[in-house]
Amino acid sequence: MRKMVVLLVAVMMLVGTFNVLAQTAEIDIFISMPEYADPINELIDTYQEEVNNEVEINYETTQSDYPTLLKVKLNSGDIPDLFASTSGKEIELYKEYSYDLSGEPMMDTMLPSVKKAMADADGNGVYGFAIKGNYFGLIYNKDLFAQAGIEKFPETISEMETAIEKLEAEGITPFTSGFSEWWVFKHLFQHFLVAAEDDVQALVRDFENGEASFSDYPVLEDNFFHFVDLVVEHGDNKILESSLNTEISQFATGQAAMVIGQGPWIEDSLIQIDPELNIGFTGYPVSEDPAESQVISGADQAVRVSSDSEDLDAVLDFVNWWYTSDYGKSWFTDVAGVVPPIEVEIPEDYYQIIQEGIKASEEKGSAPLAIIYSTDSFHSAFGEAMQTYVGGNATKAETIETIETKWQEIDGSN
Amino acid sequence: MIFENKKEKYLFTLPAIFMVSITIYLPFLISSYYSLTEWNGIDREAKFIGLENFKTIFFENNQFFDVLIFTGNYTALFMLFSNLFALIIALVLVQKLKTAKLLRGIFFVPYIMSMIIVGFIWKFIFSQGFARLYEITELGLLNLSWLGNSELAFYSVVLVGVWQQLGFYIVLYIAGLQAIPGDLLEAATVDGANIFQKFFKITLPLLGPSITVCMFMSLTRGLKVFDIILALTQGGPGGSTYSATLDIYREAFQYNNYGLGSAKAIIFFIIVLILTQIVLKISRRNEVEL
Repeated sequence: MRKMVVLLVAVMMLVGTFNVLAQTAEIDIFISMPEYADPINELIDTYQEEVNNEVEINYETTQSDYPTLLKVKLNSGDIPDLFASTSGKEIELYKEYSYDLSGEPMMDTMLPSVKKAMADADGNGVYGFAIKGNYFGLIYNKDLFAQAGIEKFPETISEMETAIEKLEAEGITPFTSGFSEWWVFKHLFQHFLVAAEDDVQALVRDFENGEASFSDYPVLEDNFFHFVDLVVEHGDNKILESSLNTEISQFATGQAAMVIGQGPWIEDSLIQIDPELNIGFTGYPVSEDPAESQVISGADQAVRVSSDSEDLDAVLDFVNWWYTSDYGKSWFTDVAGVVPPIEVEIPEDYYQIIQEGIKASEEKGSAPLAIIYSTDSFHSAFGEAMQTYVGGNATKAETIETIETKWQEIDGSN
Repeated sequence: MIFENKKEKYLFTLPAIFMVSITIYLPFLISSYYSLTEWNGIDREAKFIGLENFKTIFFENNQFFDVLIFTGNYTALFMLFSNLFALIIALVLVQKLKTAKLLRGIFFVPYIMSMIIVGFIWKFIFSQGFARLYEITELGLLNLSWLGNSELAFYSVVLVGVWQQLGFYIVLYIAGLQAIPGDLLEAATVDGANIFQKFFKITLPLLGPSITVCMFMSLTRGLKVFDIILALTQGGPGGSTYSATLDIYREAFQYNNYGLGSAKAIIFFIIVLILTQIVLKISRRNEVEL
């Protein structure tokens, strides 16, 4: 009897040691973008079924207040293995927590425009990867433009003014703006910013240091404000109450011909309201030079690998598989339905806005994503200043002064 | 006395003191420290910079004063309207109305709804609701941009704040009114006092304790206003409806100036402390006892 007990204890201890040896790796994912929760869960399931069923993957997502929650986690030492930030300037903010992916196999498939968005302030390293690429431009209703007899979409501001007249003659509201959302302004403004200077990262840095000013760039001082005036004059009724939802409903119900400051992310909502919608997508007219009217492409969100991760190898295996395996590569278009951040074929019946975006960048080239070089802190102050201008409570000169000051105050290195 | 032993009394308060300390006093002390540092909320180390943050707030940037003025205006209007309307409605609801109980319930419903939900409901009313009503009635008032115009947005926020909180103060005033002895009012009627004399000479003075409580509650709630603005305007349009608490939140968590945000919070705390003490003193002085 006693022997039996001893044997039992010995076996139990052995099993115990075995368990310790076989302890599975754990990957904690805490990222924003809950709209991709289902595709990401599918990706994780596939990885566990097909590649590695030993690894435990905990996926958590939230939208509201993500940065605040992430800060709490970082400060309490509970750093997720994968976490998210915006790309560009915020890459530097979390750099001490992030692993440099530049030596990883996933670099082979990652698009150069995405890599560029993940570099630090000096342009070195790749401190993250993207779940989606993105396009920014002007969404318009092809049928309404045809109805107004406009054959070619306006590429210069004077062509735009003619188009507005033709649309209004048909009783169509030209614009819907979403000007109550601060981020609509940054999406619009960046098209003028990239037209002002080729190296937009350097231009932004000059603004932050107070070395650049609007008065040096007519495209910012005159064209941008002129365009905003056009939108205010020929847009929504209560312009400062117009939100993203206003834009979607006005455009999808055919009441407005052009949507300001949005991109591929609204197509699902538009198609839900009207599946027959014939959507066009192109660059904004920013000057009298048709060549400067380009769409913008790049990645605005970054997923970061924690450099302090206890299971760094397991995490890297997972993200490399995501970017290089056959399933992983097709996941972007087939499962998630996003603008792929990698080099891959696009299915023919894919989203109209993305197809138009690809077509536009093949024809006229695409401009770099400028918004990622400023923080959202600045952008919300920028949006507020523009709202004050749109509401008629500040002149153009006052608004420009506020923007230049805020740029130095908030984003400048003090 | 339940506790004969003094030691026992202190012993039983210990858990409460402990919990309050770690959830209120300790964080307060920690933010006091952060108000003396420059920290973005992310770096592992906060940099000690002394009173630099307070200097920035007082001398370099007048934006915090605009926010305080907004909060002051909001609080003043909020206190005035919520107490005035609550008292009037309470006076009606203590009369022998058939529907009094039902009406009390109806007025109390907004109070049990979450502020954020109330905010979204009103956002809908101000935009789509008013637009449709304008189509039917053609009243110019309904076609104004209630949330899109920086002056109107202020009144919209006050209106929704009062509408949501009113039920709470009505209940307090009803309780106060019911506690007033009926024989006093009857005696006054016999003496030939009219309805206004009865209200101003008897009811109002005897309502003192209720008024003190309501004034105090509406003052602190007015000063702390946050969620209703977040849901309705998010501080917009053009930053014209930022309250002090919303501005502190924005500074610390959106602009990543944790130190500066903490400094603002400390200043705001001191202002609230002084204001509440003054209001409490004044209304206590005006109370009468039978």
